[in-house]
Amino acid sequence: MTASAAPMLEVRDLTLRFGSVTAFADLSFDVARGELFAVIGPNGAGKTSLFNVLSRAYVPTAGSVRFDGADLLRLRISALAGAGVARTFQNLGLFGELTALENVLIGRHHLMRSGTLRSGLWLGYARREERRHRAAAMEALEFTGIGHHAHAPTGTLPFGIQKRVEIARALAMEPKLMLLDEPVAGMSVSEREEITALVRRLHRERDLTLLLVEHDMGMVMRIAQRVLVLDFGRVIAIGTPAEVQRDERVIRAYLGEELEGDLAEVRR
Amino acid sequence: MTRLASLRRRLGARIGAKPAAVLAIAILAIVLPFGLDAFWLTTATFVLIAAIGALGLNVLTGYTGQISLGHAFFLAVGAYTAAVLGGTARLTAAIWLPAAGVVAALCGALVGPTALRLRGLYLAIVTIGLVFIGQHIWFNVAAISGGPGGRSFPPVTFGAFDFSPGQQLTLGGLVIDHNGLYYYLALIILAAAMLFIWNLVRGRPGRAMQAVRDREIAAAIMGVNLARTKMSAFVVSSFLAGVSGALYASYLSFATPGQWSLLLSVQYVAAIIVGGIGTVWGALLGSMVIFALPSVLQSLIPQSSSGGLPIDDISSIAYGLLIIVFFVLEPRGVVGLGARVASLWSRVAMRGGKGGGLSEETQPLERREATWAR
Ligand SMILES: Nc1ncnc2c1ncn2[C@@H]1O[C@H](COP(=O)(O)OP(=O)(O)OP(=O)(O)O)[C@@H](O)[C@H]1O
Ligand SMILES: [Mg+2]
Repeated sequence: MTASAAPMLEVRDLTLRFGSVTAFADLSFDVARGELFAVIGPNGAGKTSLFNVLSRAYVPTAGSVRFDGADLLRLRISALAGAGVARTFQNLGLFGELTALENVLIGRHHLMRSGTLRSGLWLGYARREERRHRAAAMEALEFTGIGHHAHAPTGTLPFGIQKRVEIARALAMEPKLMLLDEPVAGMSVSEREEITALVRRLHRERDLTLLLVEHDMGMVMRIAQRVLVLDFGRVIAIGTPAEVQRDERVIRAYLGEELEGDLAEVRR
Repeated sequence: MTRLASLRRRLGARIGAKPAAVLAIAILAIVLPFGLDAFWLTTATFVLIAAIGALGLNVLTGYTGQISLGHAFFLAVGAYTAAVLGGTARLTAAIWLPAAGVVAALCGALVGPTALRLRGLYLAIVTIGLVFIGQHIWFNVAAISGGPGGRSFPPVTFGAFDFSPGQQLTLGGLVIDHNGLYYYLALIILAAAMLFIWNLVRGRPGRAMQAVRDREIAAAIMGVNLARTKMSAFVVSSFLAGVSGALYASYLSFATPGQWSLLLSVQYVAAIIVGGIGTVWGALLGSMVIFALPSVLQSLIPQSSSGGLPIDDISSIAYGLLIIVFFVLEPRGVVGLGARVASLWSRVAMRGGKGGGLSEETQPLERREATWAR
């Protein structure tokens, strides 16, 4: 089997435990190249933990992950960007004192080469490199519709704009696989519409495989090609949006969600 | 108000407010020695020398977020490298001055890996250990430090050209004495270092440092190599400390091991807190406050009216008060105060600008610029 025929992501028997707490157990699924794949589930189901394993922030207790044909779990965390995985964070992972543009430029760190001496002495190489990547970072900000916020320190920007900076930064990383953790959480209805359209555009125009975690069912069911449903760290369903919506176990898990949601609020 | 606004607009349009300010400061720094007596010129020279070291600490602590109280150790390494190469081996400053930076940077690279495993207060405590180990070495290895009694340090010499007391340089009628020579050497090195760090923090490596400071894990996921980034910060920081320490000891011409104590580290930390954490100018501004303080107090308070307290003790109390005041009232330091004044200034100018007949279209743009200006 050639690398390009292999799925973009192959997850096998993946388990993550924190002492006696099981974040998720025995997850197995494939994400095809170019797929827009959603992961849903009630609060605490293990979605963010899955992203943390896929972005090498957490080391899984057991199981394997192959990314683009290679063993993802052998990559160092800082080598992930170069391998082609980008992510956004549910609770924002921006560098608050840097401007939006500088944040996006950090996303291009792995594509740049200038070190301490070349940058400090501001040699021609560093200057040209900086100019080129600034243009690319600007383009990513424009793509997400926030080019005019480029020079604002991100810490001072509204939450919705910060979420877009995160998407721009992930995009600027030029990844093959992008993990989006709740991109519309905490947004107004109109902002949700805009981000939904943006994610669609990302998928169509940028040749990306997308993994989307989202509580907004309307958004997920409209744009996802396949959906994985987690409950208490276990896969309870996987399939097209239509299939998943008919699944009895899914309906049951979501009927109980209101209560779950309240519990999660208390936990926070 | 209108006049203020048009002045600002004219200045801003021609050269930009920032370059104009930098030019003014540069000119002031160049002519300053001619307006100062020996006492204040000496003070100014010590301030510039210290600012080189403070700039280094600001790279490590301010920009990279690694709290270090070990700066005194790297200053001492630089000083004793100068002593051994310039004093014992009689080499020129063209060799011992860069060598002081390089040897200190090597020490930084050696302790870096240990520090990479530690964060926050733990790193602060381990770097205190470094100062104590240094003290032990300086007090006991007399071949390097001269033992508890101290040793003399070489004056700066470039070939036949000598910076020793009594020496002077005559440039087209202007006489630059021993103090002036050290002042200008420190000024040139500081300016070069500030330019280097300015470029660094706006480029790829400096951005990575700030990302590591703000959110380590997120930075790593973005492809930033944490170990390499912290290591660069350690190396750059200790290089500047080494150069600063060598110049300091050379200008003092004599130093004892006791001078490289924890108090010296604390003074540097105070300097970047007071001046502005994570800013290039903060290192200079903070050094002006902290390292000129004893001189200022000495000239303000006649010894008879200080209630018997020695000036050094009064200075120490003042350091403490300054740190507390800045932490509570303006955590961004003197640079932050400056930014406040600047934003007040632009607000005043903007209000005047309305009256001054700015067209409706250009107004929002100007306003936006002003909010970005930080
Ligand atoms: N670092 C950690 N240490 C201990 N337990 C953790 C840790 N991270 C996550 N967990 C636990 O793992 C479980 C899954 O959490 P996770 O954040 O992955 O849920 P989620 O599906 O993203 O929920 P939400 O929809 O609320 O974001 C929870 O029970 C959580 O408390
Ligand atoms: Mg989550």
